[in-house]
Amino acid sequence: MLRADDLVFAHPGQGKPYGFSLEAKPGEVTAISGASGSGKSTLLDLMAGFIAPVSGSLTLDGQELLPFPPEARPVSLLLQADNLFEHLSAEENVVLGLPRGTPRSAGHQQVAEALAEVGLTRFEAKQAANLSGGQKQRVALARTLLRNRPVLLLDEPFSALDDETRQTTRELVGELTRRHKWHTVLVSHHADDIAALATTHYRITAGKLERV
Amino acid sequence: MRLDGSAAMLTLPRRPFRVAAAATLTLVIAALIAAVLWAILDAATDASGGSRVDIPHLLRMTALQAGLTMVLSLLVGTALAWALNRLRFSGRDLVVGLFAAAIVTPGMVVAFGLLSVWGRNGWINQASGALFGVGFESPAYGLSGILLAHVILDGAFAGRILLARLDAIPQSRLKMGQSLGLSAWQRFALIDWPALRGSLPGLGAIIFLLAFTSFPIVLLLGGGPANQTLEVAIFTAVRLDFDLVGAVRLALTQIGVCSLVILLASAFTPVPSALSRSAQPSWRDSAPVRVLQWAVLGLGAIGFALPLLTVLYDGLAGGLLRVLGQAGFWRATGTSIIIGASSAMLTLALALMLALGRSAAHRQGARALLGIPAFAYLAVPAVVLSLGFFLLVRTIGVPVGTAAPIVVVIANSLLSLPFAIATLGPPLDAIMRTRGKLIRSLGLSGWTQFVRIEYPLLGRDIGLMLALAFCFSLGDLGVIALFGTQDFQTLPLMMYRALGSYKSNDAAAIAALLLIFTIVAFVGLPRLIERISHAPRR
Repeated sequence: MLRADDLVFAHPGQGKPYGFSLEAKPGEVTAISGASGSGKSTLLDLMAGFIAPVSGSLTLDGQELLPFPPEARPVSLLLQADNLFEHLSAEENVVLGLPRGTPRSAGHQQVAEALAEVGLTRFEAKQAANLSGGQKQRVALARTLLRNRPVLLLDEPFSALDDETRQTTRELVGELTRRHKWHTVLVSHHADDIAALATTHYRITAGKLERV
Repeated sequence: MRLDGSAAMLTLPRRPFRVAAAATLTLVIAALIAAVLWAILDAATDASGGSRVDIPHLLRMTALQAGLTMVLSLLVGTALAWALNRLRFSGRDLVVGLFAAAIVTPGMVVAFGLLSVWGRNGWINQASGALFGVGFESPAYGLSGILLAHVILDGAFAGRILLARLDAIPQSRLKMGQSLGLSAWQRFALIDWPALRGSLPGLGAIIFLLAFTSFPIVLLLGGGPANQTLEVAIFTAVRLDFDLVGAVRLALTQIGVCSLVILLASAFTPVPSALSRSAQPSWRDSAPVRVLQWAVLGLGAIGFALPLLTVLYDGLAGGLLRVLGQAGFWRATGTSIIIGASSAMLTLALALMLALGRSAAHRQGARALLGIPAFAYLAVPAVVLSLGFFLLVRTIGVPVGTAAPIVVVIANSLLSLPFAIATLGPPLDAIMRTRGKLIRSLGLSGWTQFVRIEYPLLGRDIGLMLALAFCFSLGDLGVIALFGTQDFQTLPLMMYRALGSYKSNDAAAIAALLLIFTIVAFVGLPRLIERISHAPRR
């Protein structure tokens, strides 16, 4: 279980600080919604370790995560855009998710399997810049598979996609979450994304999370 | 769990080695500059006896020409940018590239070209004599000549920078203006001017400093002590009058004024260094306005290109074969290329260390401190830096001839550093801004980050930076003027000496070759490095 207990944070000059508490279960998608500027992305940044809270606790199966820097947290990220390095190929982007020192041959095999799992067989050599929006998100998901981190944080990951691609990518995220028992936290302001994916839904109101 | 209470941003990957290396380098550069200044101050303290230099007059003259250069260049630059932003024609990229090359075109070459066109024996005067039977007073000497040469170079430079600002105006704003039916004047006042005005103070300060510290143009076109600037007076005091006391006083004055201007300039918006690609046009002005734009562009292009084309024609048609037959020419070419390549590589290493360290620094204060070496050149211009090194090597007992090559490479690198950091810094910061979270979350090592992400994305910028540093060094006269000997001379020094001994055909040929080398390096190096690094065009 991923649990945030009263994570308190305030941006410089912000009046009342945020205070976030939530629970996210493995194999499920927990959705966060709220108005623009309500603090949805701030919550993800706190969980990913990009900003440090003033107080509070963030645990995964009882282990405190806050002392860890972003790269050491059991967390993968999928953002709305800029998930890939566009000058690299799909394979080179996915390889960045492998642990350091992975032998080249084993790595190549794992990358091919991960790309196949997200439906991108034989896409290894394609340059990221030449992929469609949906394909880019799939490559990023393939990298997430190789990183094998139990928490997946999604920040409006389907916003830039057309309706059809949005639906298939959404289904893929749901399927991977269930299959790999990820604790997936989805930030979105699209009701249909939340309705299609989320098991649990929180809304941010006045800096607090309220279960819907 | 109670934490430290800070709301620190941790989006950047931790790169303590990069920050430490940049901090160490900053200290080394600061120590080097301090040693140079100490050598100058020490000479000033030790110096007994008087000096005949008239500092108030020189200061007045330098400030006057720099101030006029700044105003005229900003006017010319704004007009050129306005015309280029509106007009679309085949060969436009070539014209834009020509103006971009102004920053690296050796001042010596422009001054020489100006003399070929406007000088007493220039072809305009000759044509006037042949056609109308009368010549006229040459405007190429004295204050008018200095201003003309400076405005040609700095006006084109300003035009290119300001064009980037106009090209970056959002299409939505243009569409809105077009739908409102704004006139050409309203368009300039309501859309262009707000985009330009933020850049003008910073750009003006840079042009003022470039003109204030101008050396070869004033040396060639000044026409005597009445129009000397501080920089030329320092050179004259050291090399011709052997007045070290005067040189030191002049150098201290120069440093004081430059530092003051930098302090004032640092309050203004920085000049954008990245030159964006031009947006497609969607809004054409009326026919009379377009005629005016063509006239502005034509005058600008002729004003900038004519002296350079004349240099090429005179050089290639005149004494080229004679110069190519001289062993001294090949030695000077070899020296120029070796010095240029060495200082470009040193600049690359220094600029990369500093820019990588800056982009990795989390705190604003640390970033500001690591940016200090970029000001080295502006506070301590070429001839002053050269004078300091000259005094320093004498103080520590190293023969000037032995130290000369190393000193010239180091000095040229320091002089190129601000431009190199301005070239590499913004794209590195942009990578960190857009991909910092991703890099950090993936836990990439510093080496992987550089080799896989930064180096390929920086390819073109590294090429541009190498080209800038190489061309600056290739065209330098300020540093080599104090350290050059008969056995150790570069092409600009050889050209200056040829002019001094009235071998104008030799000077023309060297100027033409210098110009060709500069253009080839400026155009070719960015493309070459881009290809090597497999960088995508941005």
